[in-house]
Amino acid sequence: MVNDRNSLIFRLLSTLFIILVINFFLPRMMPGDPFSTTSADEVGEDIIVMTEEQHLYYINYYGLDRPLPEQFLAYMKNLMTGNLGRSIYYKMPVSDVIMLHLPWTILIVVSATVISTISGVVLGTLSAKNRKKGSDRIMMTGMIAFAEIPSFLLGLILLLIFSVYLRLFPLAGAVTPFANYNGMVEQILDISYHAFLPVLTLSLSQLTGVYLLTRNTLITVTTKDYIRTARAKGLGEKNVWIRHALRNALLPVVTRTGFTIGIMMGGVVLVENVFSYPGIGMTLRSAVVGRDYPLIQGILLVIAVSILICNLLVDKIYGKLDPRVVI
Amino acid sequence: MKDTDASGNAGILSFIQALNVNKINKIDRVNGIDRINRTVSSIAKQFSRFSTEGKIGILGILCIILMAVFAPVITIYPPQKITGDSLEPPGPGHILGTDELGMDIWSQICYGARMSLTIGLAVAFIAGFGGGAIGILAGYIGGHVDQGLMRVIDVTMALPSFPLLIVISAFLGPSILNVILILVIFSWAKPARIARSQTLSLKKNNYIIAARNYGAKPFYLLRRHIFPEVLPVLFVLVIGISSHAIIAEAGLAFLGLGDPTSKSWGMMLNHATSFRSIYFTPYWKWWLLPPLFMLIFLLLCLAFISRDMERILDPKLKIKKGF
Repeated sequence: MVNDRNSLIFRLLSTLFIILVINFFLPRMMPGDPFSTTSADEVGEDIIVMTEEQHLYYINYYGLDRPLPEQFLAYMKNLMTGNLGRSIYYKMPVSDVIMLHLPWTILIVVSATVISTISGVVLGTLSAKNRKKGSDRIMMTGMIAFAEIPSFLLGLILLLIFSVYLRLFPLAGAVTPFANYNGMVEQILDISYHAFLPVLTLSLSQLTGVYLLTRNTLITVTTKDYIRTARAKGLGEKNVWIRHALRNALLPVVTRTGFTIGIMMGGVVLVENVFSYPGIGMTLRSAVVGRDYPLIQGILLVIAVSILICNLLVDKIYGKLDPRVVI
Repeated sequence: MKDTDASGNAGILSFIQALNVNKINKIDRVNGIDRINRTVSSIAKQFSRFSTEGKIGILGILCIILMAVFAPVITIYPPQKITGDSLEPPGPGHILGTDELGMDIWSQICYGARMSLTIGLAVAFIAGFGGGAIGILAGYIGGHVDQGLMRVIDVTMALPSFPLLIVISAFLGPSILNVILILVIFSWAKPARIARSQTLSLKKNNYIIAARNYGAKPFYLLRRHIFPEVLPVLFVLVIGISSHAIIAEAGLAFLGLGDPTSKSWGMMLNHATSFRSIYFTPYWKWWLLPPLFMLIFLLLCLAFISRDMERILDPKLKIKKGF
């Protein structure tokens, strides 16, 4: 097990290192000078004209006039001190821009993870209990077809149905603009009203994975001897399912949740753009459109680090849940 | 991981036995007509092994391929020329109406199919078979090469592919070639890993050891014994990779990172959603819905086929997945 953990940490660190290397070399691999592209050819694109002073600042920040190894060291040093550079578009430090938008992304990703995990486990348990009935088969097929639709297309459908056609939910934003709240409750209600569709989209796209996993592990677990023992010693059906079967079946679900967050961080970029939700996904798009390279790199780094942290956390939680894993 | 590999192997072996029986049957072909008859009936036989969903999937994919190939025949207007009024609703002139510049939507859908299919197929075949070949070689050679490759695969699989994809294409500029290249870099690891584990278990089989003792060269062994047996699994993976590639391309194009010289379905979504006040007008009904439905239809077809192929390959999966 010690070996396993070491290899996990090694893998995470090397992944981080590769992302850093990609982040470092990309602007240098671009044809020409990354800061000289200032023309706009897309509709709605903001034209950013850099002054000579700004230009020199970026050349200096990236240290483009020094040898490569030295540049890399300087880059790492900047990162260690939390200096991600300055955003060209927002005209403020990249870390501040990210801090402004990251909470929204965390809000929807975390709520979607919680909702999809809980409802997936509940549905999976129900399905495993009724696995010989016809209703289960219908549920399975429906769920599987659902899983194949990528989250942003699903989001577009939900947006068209609920916001455009039925006009039940807002089309864009995370809060009502210029709203005056009478107390916390109203503010929370407004935020959840705006977050509802993005969270629903993300949850639905992750639901099937949790559902199938719970269902399959439960079916395997219920054939084990200790379940028969539990039944034989007179435990109620509810007790058997919850304390004996489900507790063991949950282990793989926990592991999966970590990977799910990784997949979701990719999907959330698109989903936020579908709902014009002001998280880092929207910021990434506007940074891409406006060619705000320091901001693009900063966001990539934040996404990568958050995925790696999730993987580590899952590893820790797993150790707590499963006493057989000795840390 | 080991568990799935092991059950995969069992399935593969049973499939291989079926293949071998086919091969023996093929030897006693008599003449040309008979051969054609046999091919037709063997295709029909293969087709009948798919479930209803799988058949729908195959027919759907065939329709989309035909649409892409015969795009100039089945459309009246070129996709990137202004041929009508701006935002015409569907009618006799333009079957699906026009977009804000007055370009025909039906033409864009037909020509857009080419983009999705090209990206999907190119990425899937390069990554699937390239990665597969790397995996087979590493599994066969073993030792340090194998260990090194496993490390690389682990790291590649842990990379957050879609955010990286956005960033790389933002820096390198959007072109079909770049998108294909980046997608290949991110999707070769899975086939390599599975091909490697297959090769490792095949290598221990008696008939391969026997062949080697008879003096078979490594290349002969790989070509003759190992590659044909890993091939069916690679095919299933290729379908999965192609649907991932199609999703990734659509997502990139939706963010405005598609190749500006082509009209893919993702680009259509991007143009429609970035049109101001599209949701307050009825335009979305003929501008946004067609590419959305086509993308979902294509992905569902691919998913049906790949699920069915998995089922055919591995009878044990039937129990495992609870069908």
